[in-house]
Amino acid sequence: MRFDLEPAYILHTRSYRESSLILEAFSREQGRVALVARGARGSRSRWKNMLQPFRPLLLSWSQRGEMGTLTAADQVAAPPSLMAEPLFCGIYANELLMRFLQRSDPHPGLFDRYRDLLGELAGGRAPQAPLRLFEKHLLEAAGFGLLLDREPGSGEPVEADAWYQYVPESGPQKRAASGSDGDLLVSGSALLALQSGVIAPRHHRELKGLMRHLIAHYLGDRPLKSQSLFYES
Amino acid sequence: MSQEPLLDQFIESLRCLPGVGPKSAQRMALHLLERDRNGGRHLATVLEAAMERIGRCSRCRNLTEQETCAICANDQRDRSLLCIVESPSDVIAIEHATGYQGQYFVLMGRLSPLDGIGPAELGLDALADRLAGQPPGEMIIATNPTVEGEATAFYLQRMARKHDIPISRIAHGVPLGGELEFTDQSTIAHAFSSRQRVES
Ligand SMILES: [Zn+2]
Repeated sequence: MRFDLEPAYILHTRSYRESSLILEAFSREQGRVALVARGARGSRSRWKNMLQPFRPLLLSWSQRGEMGTLTAADQVAAPPSLMAEPLFCGIYANELLMRFLQRSDPHPGLFDRYRDLLGELAGGRAPQAPLRLFEKHLLEAAGFGLLLDREPGSGEPVEADAWYQYVPESGPQKRAASGSDGDLLVSGSALLALQSGVIAPRHHRELKGLMRHLIAHYLGDRPLKSQSLFYES
Repeated sequence: MSQEPLLDQFIESLRCLPGVGPKSAQRMALHLLERDRNGGRHLATVLEAAMERIGRCSRCRNLTEQETCAICANDQRDRSLLCIVESPSDVIAIEHATGYQGQYFVLMGRLSPLDGIGPAELGLDALADRLAGQPPGEMIIATNPTVEGEATAFYLQRMARKHDIPISRIAHGVPLGGELEFTDQSTIAHAFSSRQRVES
């Protein structure tokens, strides 16, 4: 099978043999794919410096079996300028995609969200809201869509001024705000903000805690490594 | 395969060298056996000694057969300058190409969370101890201009800032003798964004 000029981002590269690379790429139409880029590490490679994360690329490859072979790569625009904290956020997003997406499972909508996220991170916007929304869409694409606007079972609508415990794989359950016994409580208004996509700064802390909890739940005993970048050493 | 077990093993062993496939391994082995037995014996002795005795410098983690490497032990070098590099080959490159007279810290890699390498795995606590104990007057960050190298550089900047250590980055850009037309986009972009004001 041949694929031509597919919009894609590279999520990760690793060295392969003497002068080649194995790319983990996220393509718009084919989803996550693993590609061998022969000779890409050679000093005269035509792809020198291009096969890096966050660059908007058009990739062409041929595929038989699990691993494809890169045949052409073009950079379609200047890479978003990710430095400092936004760079860490981008690496975090790449790790999420690597961990949650199966190979060759297309997610064009999520691809567009990812492209927008990189633009927002590079644009100097506070990363919290774009990251939370990206996490929400990623979980949805991976088959773990979140119930945010009503309680499971009863179907009671979530109330902005009530408190909820979010039960993974189920949904929000109303709790007395004072009865915090170590359970993660989140306000109804934060849940509704995540649902609507309009997240205010006052929701950042709660929603970060909520998403971290849910992502850890789905990833099991192999936690994300890129979170360690954000901690002071 | 020659059905000579030791010869086969010899050829096979040479393939642990980078860039050496079966054909070149065979050529190397036959060369030593047929034409240069003394060279081969010498190589064997030195190889054995190097594998046994060369370890890491206790201060900078560069390769050395001493407790501290020659650069760290040299009193003539400027202890107020600390250059952070990814690998021993970067130290060699800087030593050969520049007149740098400060000291080094060799990361032996770079932050690469998607490969499972975070600050702890890279042993950055050793660097943190050094920055706290003997803060240099300037920290020069010389990681590679890759995504992982950039992430490492930013993490190091944050560490240095905590100890109020002035930081500089080596410039990346258009190579001397290179023409813009033939320089790849990312290099031009990097060179452009890190342009310097010229005194007029
Ligand atoms: Zn040393």
